[in-house]
Parts: sequence; C-alpha cells; structure tokens
Amino acid sequence: MWRISLSGGFEQWRREARALLLAGVPPEQVSWDEVGEQADLFASLSAPVPAAASGVTVRISARVQALLESAARYRTEDRWALLYRVLWRTAGGDMAAVLAGDVDGSRLMQRVRAVRHEIHHLHAFLRFAPNPQAWGPRHLAWFEPAHEVLDLVGEHFSQRMGRESWMIATPGPGLCFDGQRFDYRESCPESWRSQARLAASDPMALWQRYYSSIFNPARINPEAMRGHMPLRFWRHLPEGALVPKLLSQARLGGRRHGQREALAQQRGKTIAGRPATASESGGEC
Amino acid sequence: MQLIDKLEILADAAKYDASCASSGAPKRGSKGKAGLGATNGMGICHSYTPDGRCVSLLKVLLTNFCLYDCQYCINRRSSDVPRARFAPHEVAELTMDFYRRNCVSGLFLSSGIIRSADYTMEQLIEVARLLREEHGFRGYIHLKTIPDADPLLIEQAGRLADRLSVNIELPTEASLLRLAPEKQVRSIRQTMSQIHDHEAEAKAERRGPAFAPAGQSTQMIVGADATDDSSILATAQSLYRVHRLRRVYYSAFSPIPRSPASVPFAAPPLLREHRLYQADFLMRGYGFSAGELLTGPGNLALDVDPKLAWALSHRELFPLDLNRAPAELLARVPGIGLVNAKRLVELRRHKRVRFEDLRRLRVSLDKVRPFVVTADYRPTQAESPSSVLRAQLREAPTQLAIW
Repeated sequence: MWRISLSGGFEQWRREARALLLAGVPPEQVSWDEVGEQADLFASLSAPVPAAASGVTVRISARVQALLESAARYRTEDRWALLYRVLWRTAGGDMAAVLAGDVDGSRLMQRVRAVRHEIHHLHAFLRFAPNPQAWGPRHLAWFEPAHEVLDLVGEHFSQRMGRESWMIATPGPGLCFDGQRFDYRESCPESWRSQARLAASDPMALWQRYYSSIFNPARINPEAMRGHMPLRFWRHLPEGALVPKLLSQARLGGRRHGQREALAQQRGKTIAGRPATASESGGEC
Repeated sequence: MQLIDKLEILADAAKYDASCASSGAPKRGSKGKAGLGATNGMGICHSYTPDGRCVSLLKVLLTNFCLYDCQYCINRRSSDVPRARFAPHEVAELTMDFYRRNCVSGLFLSSGIIRSADYTMEQLIEVARLLREEHGFRGYIHLKTIPDADPLLIEQAGRLADRLSVNIELPTEASLLRLAPEKQVRSIRQTMSQIHDHEAEAKAERRGPAFAPAGQSTQMIVGADATDDSSILATAQSLYRVHRLRRVYYSAFSPIPRSPASVPFAAPPLLREHRLYQADFLMRGYGFSAGELLTGPGNLALDVDPKLAWALSHRELFPLDLNRAPAELLARVPGIGLVNAKRLVELRRHKRVRFEDLRRLRVSLDKVRPFVVTADYRPTQAESPSSVLRAQLREAPTQLAIW
C-alpha cells in the first residue's frame, strides 16, 4: 500500500501518478492524501515509489490528459484517487473509463462538467464595479468560485474588456489585467481583496431598476429562477436582494395585469390622431 | 425625465419580447484593441428574473410611443400607459455601462412606430451605428426590424447587427387583420425574405461584409386569438423552411392593463407555450415535422410532452433495442435527448448497453422504461396499452390558478 501526500496541484499529482503507473502499482494499492503546506512532515511515512521496470513507457492521449487536468480542478476530498483509476484503466487500453456511461467515467465526466459549468458561472454571474479610487485597475470584481478555475477566465474577460484594466479577487487566487498583461497570484493579495469588496458595495442603481422592470409579474416562476441560478450566487449580486420584494409585489398586484405597481400608478398617455397610412408622416412624437 | 425613469418605462414595455438569445454570432474579440466587447457563438445568461427568464441582453424599446393600435400590445396608441423616449446616445451609453459591469452581453433594441416605419428604423440603426462606430462595440446587437421600412435601411441594419427579427405577431392572416390592422402578412414576409436574401449573399461571398450573422428570428403571440397549435406549428415550419429563420419564439398572450374587449381577459396556460417550445425544438433539432407532432387540427397535449405523445401513438416502433437501433432513432425515444443519444452511440462501440448505463447517463428512467430494450432488460409493460402508459407518465398539473 502506497500513501501519497500531495500539497501541490495537478502537476505534482501527474509526476507521482506517472511514477506509480510506470512501476505498475494498481489503484487499489494507493491512497492519496491532500494536505496543506506542512505536508512534508509526513512525506516520510510513505514508502518511496518503486522504480519503473526498465523499458516501460506509457502513452496517454491528449484528450484523456485534458479530461484529467480538467477534473483535477474539481474541489473535493478525494479528487486524486478517481483520476489515478481512470489513468490506470486508460493506460491499459480500457477507454470506457472516460465515457459517461461507465462507473468511473460517469464520475469523471460529472467533475469535468461541473468545472466547465463553474467557468461559465464566472463568465455569467461575476460583476465588475468601477474602481472608486483614482489608482489601480478600473473595474473590480469579487467572486467565490466553487472549483479552481480562476486562471481559465482571463482570456474571456480580456476579449470582452479590450484595453481596459480589471481585477478579480477571490478567497483563493487573484487575477489582474492591466490592459496588456495578466498578473495571476496563487494567493490573492489582501489589498486586492479589500479593494474588490469596497467596489462590490456599489448598488448599481440603473441595473437594479432595469432588473425590476424587465420581467413579467403575470408569469412569476421562482422555481425556474432558482433552478437556473443556484442560491450561492444571489448573495453577491446586486439584484439578489430585490427578489423577495419583487415576488411579493407580483403576487399582490402585477399578476393580474402584468405590470409593476410603481408603473401602473404613473399617469398614462394615449396617442390621439394617426396618419391615414402608416408610412405617412404624422403624430406628435 | 431622468434616464433611470425612462429605463423603467422602456424596459417594462420591452418585456413582452421573449427572445433573449445572444448566441450564434461569429467569434469576435477586443483583446488589445480600442473599444469593447466580444462574441464567441455561445450565449451567456447573466441573470434570471422572477419569471424564470434569462437576462442576456439589455432589452429595451427606443420609445413606447406608437402609432399602431395592435390590440394585444400594451404600447398600442389607445393604451393608457406612461410613455418615454430614449435619445439614441442614451441607449448606446447604457449598453456600454451594463456591458462593462458584465451584466449583459449586448443589446436587443426594439421600438414603437413613430412618425413612419422608415424614421423608426433609422433611429434604431443610429443606436447600432453609435455603438459600433463611436464606441467600438463588438458585443451582440439584435435589432427589431420594422416591416415596410425601406430595403436600404434593412440592409444597413443587417450590416451592424448580429441578429434581425421581424415579428410575425399572429399565426394567421385573419387574426392579424382583426387584431393588428396596421400590419400585413405580405410586408412581414417580404421583409423576412429580404433578410434571408442578404444572409445568403453574405454567406456566398466570404470576404464581403457580414450580414446578420446570427440570422433572423420572429415571435408569435399565442392565445390572443383562437388559432390552434397545429396551425401555429405549420406556420413555424414554413418560416423555418422558406425564410430559414433561426428561431421562432412563442409568447403566451399576457393580460395587459385596461385590455380591449377584442382580446381575451385571461392568459392561456403557460404550459401551452411550453409545449409549443418543446414541439419547436423537436422540429429544429430532432427532425420531426409539424405533421408528425399533430396529425390533425387541435392543440398539443398538455399532460404529456410532444415526444412522449408521438411515441404513445407509434407503439409499433417500440420497444427499441438500444444496442441495435439506428442512431437517428435513439433520440426519438421519450427520455433520451440528443446528447444522450450521442453518448449511447459512443458507449455501444465499447460494450453492450445495459439498463444501469441509462441511470448513469441520468436518463429519466420512468419515461424510458416502456420504450427500450437493453442487454439485460426488456419491458414488461411493452404490451400495455398506450392509454395506461399515458396515465402513468402524465405530468401532474403544476400550474396554480390565480388566487
């Protein structure tokens, strides 16, 4: 039985897994521990991985490598054991290990999907607020990703934001773009975090008013809303706090005629007089 | 009037347009460039509103002043609603602001008809021009196209926008005559075919300028008249086939304040709209024709989805052996979607498909059980009549009445 302690990420796992694979150690003889920085204290508990039999090589397709790399970003207690089992099986030619219909493959693909989803969540639900201070990046965001994907969203936001500078702070890493270059920090500096939190308190008044007006109170469907957008995102969004009030207002009045009370109470205006044909000039506006 | 108050009125006035798609645009980006914005073909839903709809674009009317008197529309000239009008630069600046904040991926702009069709179209184009030329905006733009506008204006709009749409409004000409007297099927269809011709030209000439690369869409209001689903689907099918529309949106008629007597007082069940979307998806993605989904006049069933309804009336094709059936039939099995059909084809290259595999693919087992055969499973209910199956598989009514 080999016990491997990992303190780093995918690259460290890859080195260990490669050595084990070359030595022919099957998955059921390995246990993987994920430990913090003090991991080295216990490293000696684990026996050294045996040397590879000479002349043994392993080929892993680029696709499988990409799947493993992606699944490794999924945050869970036992992320490495599954990856080694899949690696072991595919190295032995059993490609079903990466198929969604397989025992291991379904778990692997579920993690790959969750990681892909989380990238999408950042693209969608992150909000930049203007930096109120005169210095530093012009747009600031705070986000709490469920998986390790921050380094993958830089390209997307640099394509959106052109030469404008921005920064994303998280409880883990941080990512900054000055309009030309990325600055990725494995551990987000505290100063970035406090800047981002300060900016995130911007209520975004125009956006809030838009959000309150663009839905149809006659069609409220809170289950669908929450189904599409998990609860954990709402508390970081400026519109999240509006939802309970909007729902209760809709139940009180808007449900009947599809209009918010705030608007239904405003004075209306019908338009008198119209041209003989629609293409002719006329009207007051 | 303050900008924020205009926004309130003109967003409220735009909420009846169902489309919020920001997908289908070519790959564009602004990295290292002046200006802002990217599209990559995939849409992004930046938020969800309490009606369960996605917010992808800033969706507003330029103005809700309108000379037309379409009976189902809240902005009709005889409607007593607060009115407002944006200046084109205001919409452009709002779009840029929301885009920078990552609240939206672009703009969907529509308008009431003011002065004339041409004038209104010019104003919409001016907003798109400001965004593209003055602000260097490369994000998504969807412009509503005004039927009867000059063909040159339609061409200009298509050069600036990713998507154009002309609303067909109602499924039949008779209903349009009765409820939207200023609109004509002929000019709506004409505008659609102009757009289609430009699209085809632009595609043929790769180096030439693009024209509405995300195609055109339309919207049909459901339940404002007595038209049944079979006519609605037939109309949709002809729009897909003749004008190559990317999407037809169905919008359940929604009660409006001080509704005129010509339209119903109550909304049709939202479930009807949902079934139409499901049927539409089966026509676009699964190769079903309108005639297969509804063989005669009438509406789609509300208690079961259209694919299940189709399968229940074609029991001679089932149960289907998932290990042998041709790939194109797999997705016709109730409970198996396009993605899982593809996965099954991949899986059966490696092994014999077993029932347990379906659980892992997260197929709805209750739905699929009577219709499939796997290496280790054969349905016992295969002989049970469709009426019994239907009773077992029907969806419990979930829509609550107004209380």
